[in-house]
Amino acid sequence: MKILYSWLKDFIDLDLTPEELVKKLTDLGIEVASVETTGADFEGVYVAQIIKIEDHPNSDHLHLVTLDLGGGKTQRVVCGAPNVAVGQKVPLAKVGARLGKIVLKPAVIRGVESEGMICSSDELGLTHTRAHGILVLDENLTLGTDVSTLYGKPDSLFELEITSNRPDLLSHLGVARELGALLNKPVKFPEIKKIAGEGKSLQVEILNPQGCPRYTGRVIRGVKNVESPEWMKTRLAAMGLNPKNALVDITNYVMFELGHPLHAFDLRLVEGGKIIVRNAQAGEKFTLLNGRELELNENCLMIADEKKATALAGIMGGQNSGVQDDTTDIFVESAYFNPPTINKTVKKFAVSSDSSQRFERGTDIEGALTALHRASELFVELCGGVASEITDVYPTPYKNPQVVFAPQEINKILGTNISDERLKEIFSRLALSFTTDGDKWTFVAPTHRRDLNHKWDLAEEAARFAGYDQIPVSPTKASLAFTDAPKGIELGRRFARRLIGLGFCECKNIDFLGEKEIKAFGFDPKFCIKVKNALAQGWDYLRPTLLPSLLKNVESNLRFGNNNLALFETTKTFLSMKGFPVENYAVSGVLCGSLAQEKFFAAAQKPVDFYLLKGLVQTLLNSVEAITLAPAKNVPGYMHPKICMDILLNGKSIGLLGQIHPLTLKTFGIKAEAVWAFEFATKMIEKSFSAQDFKPAQAVAIFPPSLRDLSVVVDKTVSYAQLVSALDKTPLDVNLDYHVIDLYQGEHLPEGKKSVTFSLSFSHPERTLKDSETEDAFKRIVEQLRGQVKAELR
Amino acid sequence: MTITEFKTACETLQQEYQTKISAAQSASEVEDLRVASLGRKGALTDLLKSLKDFSIEDKKTAGPLGNALKAALTAALDEKQSFFATKELNEELNKTEIDLTLPGEPVACGHRHPLSVAQDRMTEILSQLGFEWAEGPWVEDEKHNFDLLNIPLHHPARDAQDTFFVDGKMPLVLRTHTSNVQSRYMEKHKPPLRIMAPGRVFRNDSLDATHSPVFHQIEGLYVDKNVSMADLKSDLTAFMKGLFGDKAEIRFRPSFFPFTEPSVEVDVKCVFCQGKGCNVCKGSGWIEMLGAGVVHPNVLKNCGIDPEQFSGYAFGMGVERLAMMMLNIKDIRTFYENDLRILKQF
Repeated sequence: MKILYSWLKDFIDLDLTPEELVKKLTDLGIEVASVETTGADFEGVYVAQIIKIEDHPNSDHLHLVTLDLGGGKTQRVVCGAPNVAVGQKVPLAKVGARLGKIVLKPAVIRGVESEGMICSSDELGLTHTRAHGILVLDENLTLGTDVSTLYGKPDSLFELEITSNRPDLLSHLGVARELGALLNKPVKFPEIKKIAGEGKSLQVEILNPQGCPRYTGRVIRGVKNVESPEWMKTRLAAMGLNPKNALVDITNYVMFELGHPLHAFDLRLVEGGKIIVRNAQAGEKFTLLNGRELELNENCLMIADEKKATALAGIMGGQNSGVQDDTTDIFVESAYFNPPTINKTVKKFAVSSDSSQRFERGTDIEGALTALHRASELFVELCGGVASEITDVYPTPYKNPQVVFAPQEINKILGTNISDERLKEIFSRLALSFTTDGDKWTFVAPTHRRDLNHKWDLAEEAARFAGYDQIPVSPTKASLAFTDAPKGIELGRRFARRLIGLGFCECKNIDFLGEKEIKAFGFDPKFCIKVKNALAQGWDYLRPTLLPSLLKNVESNLRFGNNNLALFETTKTFLSMKGFPVENYAVSGVLCGSLAQEKFFAAAQKPVDFYLLKGLVQTLLNSVEAITLAPAKNVPGYMHPKICMDILLNGKSIGLLGQIHPLTLKTFGIKAEAVWAFEFATKMIEKSFSAQDFKPAQAVAIFPPSLRDLSVVVDKTVSYAQLVSALDKTPLDVNLDYHVIDLYQGEHLPEGKKSVTFSLSFSHPERTLKDSETEDAFKRIVEQLRGQVKAELR
Repeated sequence: MTITEFKTACETLQQEYQTKISAAQSASEVEDLRVASLGRKGALTDLLKSLKDFSIEDKKTAGPLGNALKAALTAALDEKQSFFATKELNEELNKTEIDLTLPGEPVACGHRHPLSVAQDRMTEILSQLGFEWAEGPWVEDEKHNFDLLNIPLHHPARDAQDTFFVDGKMPLVLRTHTSNVQSRYMEKHKPPLRIMAPGRVFRNDSLDATHSPVFHQIEGLYVDKNVSMADLKSDLTAFMKGLFGDKAEIRFRPSFFPFTEPSVEVDVKCVFCQGKGCNVCKGSGWIEMLGAGVVHPNVLKNCGIDPEQFSGYAFGMGVERLAMMMLNIKDIRTFYENDLRILKQF
């Protein structure tokens, strides 16, 4: 909403500077987006021509400039502007001139007297940029002309951001009323000449009184659709409107002035002499005055005559009934429409206008008639003609509810100590009626404030007008209880901490994916959540998996030369089950290049391979006991067919790890040898997780272990898992710990065989082992492996 | 040899060797002195041989005397020996040539995302102020995202939040704010309650320097008997002090949100210029931080809480906005580009 300062002053006496006004409005909760100053706020500045420029004797950048003021008068001033040149016509401020709040005094600059000042546009308050140099005026101007006459009167245009609960502020009157209440100044309503009216108006029939609780209007005959006067055109232009003709301009002018939208019909085009307010029929076609054709539904409220619809009520008139240059008789409408009714149609067709913005927020139902009077006055004054009687269909007059409350309730809501006197003062300024009976206060808001319905609303008014700085800061009080963070969040945080410790960087991605990506990652779009009004193609679905986003991160990072990547994300993934959304936290990571991000001398960086990935995933998950990894049963298409494992929790798959399929990399435009990835859902882990559960500590051996190396030769087909499964089942009287230290196949071994070397560590919790005990255990292991997997000692 | 002569000999010997040990110039000289004094043919060994001729009574005096002398000489020799050994080692170490200014070997190290860094700090502060964790669904029904929060259908306030709608059995939206946690939580829990709910929210806004269709909020809600605007001001002041230091100051500006009444915008005194006015605060000295207010009585009623008995406050703040301020990030897209060169800084 734009507010012109000079227009505001029609309603209230204000002597605030624009800056002071911005402060007041801000304190009231009216955000000021911008202030634009127009016109000239200076006196004593005249057009002069530069006739001579000399160097200043005591300065290398100042000049002594001689100017011709016309009428044979010349003057010499000191000037430092870089753009002065002989022949220019410039604004000369004489001693005594007023520039905004500054009055120019005689000055001696570096020993030379200056008889005035050549001004820049900034100094004249015409611009707010630090313009370099003096303002050069049109060369055709007459010398001695008062420069202020070139720019008009000073004025300021405020762009206000009005919240949707305060439609009453969408006019100059409304803002004046608010300031009046704050500054305790009377609001001067314009002297509206209430024309009595001669002759019949149109009959009005309201078929939907809920959609249109009040409809007023009158006919004005014999008007001449002239051009609007300059003052009106200037004001409308400031509001951002293109002035058209007086009949149209007046309706807009009254709307910006009083806040009530009006519409003028050409009486020639209203058939049957009757206005009908009705709902549209489904499928009814209607062409707006901007040329757009709509196919209406039963929710659309229409203004119609007996033959046809003439306006989309409260939103826009039709092409078939608007005023034209040769219009002589008009019907002026000033009605109140129900906000949700207007909002439905606005949203349905995405049509919006200055008028609909006011109606869908709520106009002043009592103000409808005032607006009609004001418009009639202007029509008759500017266009001539005779106004008819007024039609006013208003079956159920509206009244705001009574709010009954005690003053201390206001202070309780705010936590303040505002005195009863102060509260009374504030409420009586805002009320239509306000009475107090001891602690029983009764407030009724005027019809333009439908937002004041209970004591909480009044508390806000009290705070706004008393000032929010009245609210004290006292020590924090709290009602303390303890609950754990939701398990999904807590597990996510724990896994994130672990991953960061392991060298991964956290990513955050937009939650949307395209259909192609979803399918490429094995999901049926039917089971994904589709956004109906997606922002862009490729952002149609909520992610069922985090991997595609991370692969995009790999691609963009590689482009910037970040070749060694360990990235993860932990957030929700989404699926749709029988039409209901399912949200699950997931943890997902990708690796590329080597784990250390930077190079060190010529040392070859160890590239990530499957076993590093596996080690990282195992370390990440080692706090979850029931986790195992197993070669994937069904390898999804986006993974390497041979390098993919399932992450199992109690035997059930909750995720996978492995190498991304090279074709998938190609699809994502990733130019890397290999990308490794893992992803798992935490839902199943959450079930057995409790922040109160800690793994009990295991005692460590205090007697030194006996170490032995064991090399066995087995068939190549025997997997490591088979080998250690046999090893684990060896019946032993001592504790055994082992790890693999070598794997060999090739020369010196028979075809089809491989050699595996373990480092074995035997120990006993209570004593140091005797050699014979170690020997015995070693032998048993060899026997076991020979029996189970046909292993031979190498 | 008399016992007296033995004593004198011991003293002489001690003096002689102490002097010689002190004067020794090298490890080998010390070794020579060890042989000359304690060796098989050494001076002390020789002297001790005379013990065998002493009476039992004299042996009792002379024996400990001789042992003490032996211990004293051994200690002096060892000390001197260790002195030369240390000296020699240090001379060796001092020959080391190394350029300590070469870079350290890079170690794999992970980093928390800047948004998480900011959010963790905020939840940590709120946690210390007694707020418990809560969460709600991101795909939400209109009832919990709008209706219960006093944002009626066909009201411009509902249109102001550009909403993503999704296909489903019932009318579903991607939650437009974390306030859905308010309605969810109050349906299930009765006052007193004091919760924080960080999480993602969605608005149908194109991605540019200051907007993202996906962003993060932290919701705060406190409902109990006698909770007022003053409690809101106190707790938010404490929160901002936690975030920006003890000098942090806030101010309330009236505003409008359908789910609070009175509603306020909360500004914090510009942390860059201490309120003097700078580019960041556009000269105003204050920076808009979050929206808040007293929980609207309709919201309490809708969730089954009697607004005459209980009152509360609620606030919702954008994590991105605060993170941009805290971490000096100028463009919101930076958070979602996940460029390693940025991620590595946190």
